[in-house]
Amino acid sequence: MTSEKPDRFDRVDWSAYEGSGGVDPSVNTVGAIGTTLPLVALFVYDRQFVGEREATFGAVGLEADWSGLEYLFAFTLILFVWYVLVPLYQNPRMTRYYWREFTRNRPAVVSLGWLLVVFVGGLLGPLVVSAPEQSVLAGHQPPVYLSIDTANVAQCLGEVRGGRCYGTWEYPLGTTRGGKGVFRSIVYGMRISVQIAFITTTIVATIGITFGTVSAYAGGWVDEAMMRFVDVVLSFPTLLMFLLILYIYGAGLGMFIVVFSLFAWGGTARYVRSKSLSVSEETYVSAARISGASTTRIVRRHVVPNTASSIVTQLTLLVPGFLLAEAQLAFLGLGDTSLPSWGQLIAAGRSDLGFAPWIVVAPGIVLFLTILAFNFLGDALLDALDPEAAAEVER
Amino acid sequence: MADGASRAGAEPLLSVRDLRKHYPITEGLLSREVGSTKAVDGVSFDVYPGETLGLVGESGCGKSTVAKSIVRLEEPTGGEVRFNGASRGETGAGGGDGPHPNDVTRFDRAELKSFRRDVQMVFQDPTSSFDPRMTVGSSVAEMLLVHGMTDGETRRAIVEDLLERVGLSASDYDRYPHEFSGGQKQRIALARALVLNPELVIADEPVSALDVSVQAKVLSLIDELQSAFGLSLLFISHDMSVIRRICDRVAVMYLGEIVEVGPVADVFADPQHPYTEALLSAVPRPDPRADPDRIELTGTVPDPADPPSGCRFHTRCHRVVQPEGVDVEQSAWRRVLDFRERLRDGDLEVDAGAADRTAASGGPSAAGVRAEFDLPERLGDERAERALEAAIERLVAGDEAAAIERLSEVFRTPCETTVPEWTDHGGGHGSACIRHRSAELSDDLEGIETD
Repeated sequence: MTSEKPDRFDRVDWSAYEGSGGVDPSVNTVGAIGTTLPLVALFVYDRQFVGEREATFGAVGLEADWSGLEYLFAFTLILFVWYVLVPLYQNPRMTRYYWREFTRNRPAVVSLGWLLVVFVGGLLGPLVVSAPEQSVLAGHQPPVYLSIDTANVAQCLGEVRGGRCYGTWEYPLGTTRGGKGVFRSIVYGMRISVQIAFITTTIVATIGITFGTVSAYAGGWVDEAMMRFVDVVLSFPTLLMFLLILYIYGAGLGMFIVVFSLFAWGGTARYVRSKSLSVSEETYVSAARISGASTTRIVRRHVVPNTASSIVTQLTLLVPGFLLAEAQLAFLGLGDTSLPSWGQLIAAGRSDLGFAPWIVVAPGIVLFLTILAFNFLGDALLDALDPEAAAEVER
Repeated sequence: MADGASRAGAEPLLSVRDLRKHYPITEGLLSREVGSTKAVDGVSFDVYPGETLGLVGESGCGKSTVAKSIVRLEEPTGGEVRFNGASRGETGAGGGDGPHPNDVTRFDRAELKSFRRDVQMVFQDPTSSFDPRMTVGSSVAEMLLVHGMTDGETRRAIVEDLLERVGLSASDYDRYPHEFSGGQKQRIALARALVLNPELVIADEPVSALDVSVQAKVLSLIDELQSAFGLSLLFISHDMSVIRRICDRVAVMYLGEIVEVGPVADVFADPQHPYTEALLSAVPRPDPRADPDRIELTGTVPDPADPPSGCRFHTRCHRVVQPEGVDVEQSAWRRVLDFRERLRDGDLEVDAGAADRTAASGGPSAAGVRAEFDLPERLGDERAERALEAAIERLVAGDEAAAIERLSEVFRTPCETTVPEWTDHGGGHGSACIRHRSAELSDDLEGIETD
């Protein structure tokens, strides 16, 4: 018996703790708030003290000028770090367990690798690779090792053999009609794709989880009304709405993201609601209730984490939809043509498909691989993130 | 452990008085209430400091609802739950009119929160008892955090110490529920129930999901912890052998009511209620020479939305009382009553097929009906036999209503009209069965209601 030890459950003088609410902000919350504040400060500085046409970071000699979208993206990255990456680090046992489960699915591991490439490329690529620039003289250059009839190029930058122009390493994936490097455009397109993925996911998850949980916990007619509203959202013709907005306000990437994610959370909310209802019937919720925990605490600590991990799959499968929608709209010429997205690149190359197929094929393959990777990843996450289901199968 | 005599003067730690929990049955768009399921219907019992009270009954009799109502996981429909823990002060029973100051059902938020520290629960299913995304350590430590212990290191020290006490190791703090077996999870559940240092632990079928060998170990652990920390225990189970193993007193529940209460030794040696007898006969006995008679309850558990009148057990009771002037063999009497019940419910297919198979002649015959319902060829009592014969005749003739009427004239039992009163058998042993009413004419019917 370690009776000398002061920390024993039957030696606790609970009257000393009377009145304290048990509020213990987690490292994650503190960290997230701590990193968001400088971002907010930067935003305020950008709006108040930097001129409309001046670069945000002009004072320190950088040319980057941040739009509202960039701030939103930075904010979602902060949330991602503090509420996804840091928890994975904080719970090494769980992380190892998930990782073991996840690695059983080989295609998913490859997919994750590819998505990491896209993510890192999108995040850091624009810092390393300079932006693709118009240069009419360098139009229609072929990718390295491939060639094109000299009749189709204004000026061949590489070797000319037998009347054919060969590609150079300056433009590893060739150039567009306007002389923009396809490789550089793809790297810059990664950033757009990553932004679309992160911001839409955050918006959909936030609204979906909040709406679903509130609906499940409110019950009664509130629940009824909220779910009927979800039906309305789900049956809303998003594309028509977007076209309407496009004619009135123009169609930037920000508008695309906001409109499409504001009409995409319906399914998530429904799923979260049903999952919350089933989680709140679990014994561990009863156990938390008779411990004296408040409803807010139970929802935050038990219900939301247990529903959130199962909607990860759903969100992962939602992202390809957004990427495809962006590409389709761009191909139809309904997007912002100045945007260096994959879809715009494909759209730019469609007229030259006969003799310069790389302009369409290269971004097309990248887009295809990315969407495929998201689907594989979603599948593997479904298997890995459900320890109970997995345990039951083993039994 | 404490015996009846030493408890006599002590104030009970928990007194449940006339506890009721009815679930409304609603219909239609406006949720009009059309009736209610009486899961718990007027239950009273006491738990004294340091003792273990067993609450036993078959599935669906309302045992778990009693537990949930006591801790207010469910809001009781009526009745009182008095908790006289140390933190509630000595208020005594005679508090005059109005609600009792220690009535849990009327606690406000703050009172309820401090009550949560004094009464904890262990649940049946070890698998769903823990949040799959939290380490078991933080699941246990959450209790401390909720009650204001913000110092993480103290929390961890307390929980690690407690994990060792329940037979696990301190390093298990960082493991996840899926890494433990059912028995280990139940040990952790005990740690979670203990971590706030409660006075009363309600264990709702804590071992019924476990293997028998694991059951024994968990039960010994419960025993050990109870004596080490002076806990009181309300132990809910459907298993009489588990009750005998761990409880001091036992309360037998049937269909939302308590039918018998008493010290375990008395109840097991001399059950006073037929239902207790039936439950006990299902316990395997180690003595091969012992009477192997098993009492098999006939009929199904009645719907708690529409419980039987009088004594709720009369539809299945093997000792169901015969009226004045009737003297039929008891098992035959039971079968005739079952026959009558089924006729009344109309769930008979007597007219064609059923009776047909037994009566080779073709049409339904009287003998066929008797064979189908396991009725004897002749009843011992002349008057009863005449009535039964006449009823079967009418039934064969296809006149069910007349058959029922004929049967109801003779085959009546006081059990279906009289609500049994509580009879005291001495030594804190009491039961509610009308067979005792005539036997015990003494007017000191000091049931537990009068305290």
